[in-house]
Amino acid sequence: MLKNTLFPKKEARLYMAFMHVTFASLLIGGLMGLLQTLSRSGQFKLPFGINYYTILTVHGVILGLVLTTFFIVGFQFALMGKTVGISDKQRKWGWIAFWTMLIGTIIAATTILVGQANVLYTFYAPLRAHAAFYIGLALVIVGSWIAVFVNFRQLYVWKKANPGQKSPLLAFMVTINMAMWFIASLGVATSVLVQFIPWSLGYAATINVLLSRTLFWYFGHPLVYFWLLPAYMAWYAIIPKIIGGKLFSDSLARMSFILLLMFSIPVGFHHQLTEPGIDPTWKFIQVVLTFMVVIPTLMTAFSIFATFEITGRRKGHKGLFGWFKRLPWKDVRFLAPFIGMVAFIPGGAGGIVNASHQMNTLIHNTIWVTGHFHLTVATTVILTFFGIAYWLVPHLTGRRLTPKLNKLGIIQTIIWTVGMTIMSTSMHIQGLLGGPRRSDFSNYAGGEQVSTWISYQVAQAVGGTILFIGIILMIYIFIQLAFFAPRGIQEFPIAEEEVDADPTPKILENWYLWIGITVALILFAYTIPVIDIIKHSPPGSLPFDWPIGR
Amino acid sequence: MTTGKSRKRPVIESGNPQTGINLKGTFISVMLLGVFILVTWFGLYALFLSR
Repeated sequence: MLKNTLFPKKEARLYMAFMHVTFASLLIGGLMGLLQTLSRSGQFKLPFGINYYTILTVHGVILGLVLTTFFIVGFQFALMGKTVGISDKQRKWGWIAFWTMLIGTIIAATTILVGQANVLYTFYAPLRAHAAFYIGLALVIVGSWIAVFVNFRQLYVWKKANPGQKSPLLAFMVTINMAMWFIASLGVATSVLVQFIPWSLGYAATINVLLSRTLFWYFGHPLVYFWLLPAYMAWYAIIPKIIGGKLFSDSLARMSFILLLMFSIPVGFHHQLTEPGIDPTWKFIQVVLTFMVVIPTLMTAFSIFATFEITGRRKGHKGLFGWFKRLPWKDVRFLAPFIGMVAFIPGGAGGIVNASHQMNTLIHNTIWVTGHFHLTVATTVILTFFGIAYWLVPHLTGRRLTPKLNKLGIIQTIIWTVGMTIMSTSMHIQGLLGGPRRSDFSNYAGGEQVSTWISYQVAQAVGGTILFIGIILMIYIFIQLAFFAPRGIQEFPIAEEEVDADPTPKILENWYLWIGITVALILFAYTIPVIDIIKHSPPGSLPFDWPIGR
Repeated sequence: MTTGKSRKRPVIESGNPQTGINLKGTFISVMLLGVFILVTWFGLYALFLSR
């Protein structure tokens, strides 16, 4: 299909359905974030007796799980549709995926909003939510699995029709991300189905807390990469087109995704470094595996810089950094993802600190961690997603990103950057001063150390307010692009390879090999410690509904 | 000694052999990125040791 040909309407409707849920989630989840920061400033009491942990759970679930998953599944469907095509039957299954996910979301969100699931998005046992919360989440995952197999099928059908040909890069990347998502979400699905649902319904009296947390983080870390890889797809294969360049290296991009598949999953213990009951040797092994992720991440950084420099020099820009000055700073499709890339530098460096075994004690359970993932997910990933939405939404609705909307997008990006810089920086500093994450405002009986935190919590409220203004503006832009912008054809930018590019080695598409190595690494990293956890755990825990829970 | 013919050496740009384009800016950028990571890590390591 030609890149500048619009999708057939029935196809575009499916992809847009995911976008509508994405931006509705942004508004709801963002409002909850604003209320949290205001509440934690100590200057504002939540009205109508609303529980802080209710809004905290809505914020985490709606933004961390719902917004991201809907955007990613919709975006990836659009990429597959554009690169390998979608049949009517596959499209119908796409709709089944959408409705399953949406019904699950509504069930889970309603359960939280009525105060029956104040368990945060990590839903750590022994906090217990109403069973409907877990069932809703399970449906979201099942819906996403349907999307996984539709995407697999799309690539399979294309390969059958094009024997011996290399798969389109973006289709390859989507398949990697969905393979990772499927393998990882098996862990949390097992925990929800086998542990949480029977326990919350009263069929099981107790729950193995350590096992549930281990299964959650087996899923929880690759979840981060499930968010990040679609941003990488844009950085590798879309941004070069927007800046007027070519793909730097098809092989490097594929290799980087393969390494991310391998090293994103067997690493969950780095979220459990302070957890008793896990042998330190296995924690150390998973820390080492975590650090392997640095390699594809730096490959990506190199590739991006090189794309910028080659493109700039071809346009005749001289000097060491002349190419940098001439990047299309006034094009929001570039600017928003670019700021996302910049945010990933401190975000990634902070991540290395978090995973550094003993050094984790410096920041564990402090608001530093919240600051960290607001840089990675809420800046790097989200600004890239916004950058994608500026061209994807009008492409799907047959409209255009006008110069006026482009300008509003640039303003939105600046607002977001300012708000997040204030909020995330103050979170990082407060975390280093020992400020806890997750908890509601408290002066902790007037402790001396606590007095050093409050100014940072006020700064977070300032940053949160600026961010919410950014959200309102983003919603306005989305509505304009979806319903009111002038009709036209907005380009679907996909970068092409150099004409004389070296051929991509066939081994990079050997799925048996790469998935085989991934599974082997998972079995190596998890088999013995999980057997240990099951055999030697203390007695299971009864459910707790207080102080938070139900 | 000159032969009368101008013998110009072909201009070879230093850098990536595949593209023939100078990638010095990229090299310096990734080095700066590495330095930032190391400074962050050692800064926090010092804080860890001091506590």
